Amino acid sequence: MSGAAATRLDPWRRSAAATAGLYLHFVRLAFLKFLAYRLRYYTGVISYTIFVAGYYYLYRALYASRAPGPGGVAEMGGLTVGEMITYVAVGWIGRSFYFNNIGRDLMHQVREGQIAMQLIKPYDVQSVMMFEAAGEAVFRLVMFTVPITVVIVPLFGVHLPPQPVLLGWTVLSFTLSLVVYSQLNFLVGCLAFHMKNIDGVLRAKMVSGDFLAGVIVPFSFFPEWFQRVVEWLPFQAIGYLPVMIYLGKRPGDELWQALLVQAGWAVGLWLAGRVAFRRSLRQVVVQGG
Amino acid sequence: MDDAQGTLARLPERAFWPQVRWQAGIFGAYFGQFVKTRLAYRMDFLVDTLGVLASIGIQLAVLTTLFSKVSALQGWSFEQVLFIYGFSLVPLGLFNLVSVNLYGFSDAYIIEGKFDRVLLRPVNPLAQVLCESFNISGLNEIALGLVVTVWAGIRLGLQPGALDVLALLVLAPTAALVYLGVFLAITAVSFWFEDRMGIAPPVYNVIRFSRYPLTIYSLPVRILLTFVLPFAWVAYYPATWFVGGADLKFVAALTPLVGLVVFGGAVLVWRRGVRNYTSTGT
Repeated sequence: MSGAAATRLDPWRRSAAATAGLYLHFVRLAFLKFLAYRLRYYTGVISYTIFVAGYYYLYRALYASRAPGPGGVAEMGGLTVGEMITYVAVGWIGRSFYFNNIGRDLMHQVREGQIAMQLIKPYDVQSVMMFEAAGEAVFRLVMFTVPITVVIVPLFGVHLPPQPVLLGWTVLSFTLSLVVYSQLNFLVGCLAFHMKNIDGVLRAKMVSGDFLAGVIVPFSFFPEWFQRVVEWLPFQAIGYLPVMIYLGKRPGDELWQALLVQAGWAVGLWLAGRVAFRRSLRQVVVQGG
Repeated sequence: MDDAQGTLARLPERAFWPQVRWQAGIFGAYFGQFVKTRLAYRMDFLVDTLGVLASIGIQLAVLTTLFSKVSALQGWSFEQVLFIYGFSLVPLGLFNLVSVNLYGFSDAYIIEGKFDRVLLRPVNPLAQVLCESFNISGLNEIALGLVVTVWAGIRLGLQPGALDVLALLVLAPTAALVYLGVFLAITAVSFWFEDRMGIAPPVYNVIRFSRYPLTIYSLPVRILLTFVLPFAWVAYYPATWFVGGADLKFVAALTPLVGLVVFGGAVLVWRRGVRNYTSTGT
């Protein structure tokens, strides 16, 4: 093997710059792959607008049915109707960015045996999948999140954050959501090594995920005991915390705490994924073919 | 068994009713065969039941939470909204049971040419496509939807008479025809155009509007859901037979008419499409 190729491929002889170049390449590849399917995302913009519209009418009706509070403004779970609609809209806009299916991708690779081809290549499968998810997210940001924002914000009168700087923190927070969401998906995908069919698990995660992430109903609407429970689950680090940051409901030190909780889940789930993946590999049997 | 198969194997008679009986027998056999293949994957069915239970449980949790803040949603009580939601699952389940083949129709039947095989058989092509496989998950939705509906009905203190039972038996399947008509029309378009954007998913997502009382929406949305994309007829209008006022009973009674018109229109589009079909030759 020629010198240049060898330094690029042997993991133990690869320079840090070459390693970074290798993984960044997967960001680009994933971006290009999704670019080929961009037509599908045009109708996706309509779907997301429909999701937000459904909750827009539901919450408007709910607030209209509520007697106004002391200030003459109806408030529920600490949110006014304007904040509530902003909550739903920002939650779905964020979801349009961090959403991916790497759990399902991993399941297909295990089921079809392509995972063998991944394992003989000189890279870390978990990292590759994370960087591919990042490439998908960059694609979604440009081709999906931006158009959705342009449609939804004026249509439903979405509020700006109380301070402009919170917009920057919200973007950072949703970036952490991407890592948490992807690592959670990877972890669920690892189940495919142990079960024949994880379609049901993936669907259950899909159905309950949005709910537990607070994308549908804010946690402050729920009874106290439920709020205590979800605080200990990773889902709130996906949907709830970024939106609360956007709405200015995490002032001062609480902002840092929220971001730290997200970062903690990102690192924790990454490590859990590493352990789960390695343990699963011990029992993987790939049929020839 | 020999007798049943003998009847099915016999050449179809020309007269209308014997034809219908013969075709219905064929599709009964289709369903029986499908259930047998599924029995090999009993775990899948169990997991699917749990999945449907989870999604209904979450929807109930959402409704309960929202109604913990208000006593009524624009005049609709919790039990009334629950009734509409439960009822909405029955036509949805009926529709999901037979609609799986419509989603992949363009790819599987037109591009891969499976439709050639369908046309070679002396049985209704549309019925063949709908019955080629089933989504058993629909049975879960029907059963659990009925549980929610009955529970809400008991809480509301409804006293159903024979007419109401008859209404349920007529309204639920005809409401399912509205779904089937809308998605059949969309599917039939693929006889002319290759749908690369996927227009079905956004339309499918509009279904979620049908779970709640129509009166929470603005007038343009109500008009849209009543006349353009008629999903108001899949749950809200038929359910008002049971939970709406006396004045709404007349509207609810129109559901079978709407179902037949929407489905009939879609069948006409479908037939034109079949005539327009040219095989890809694969």
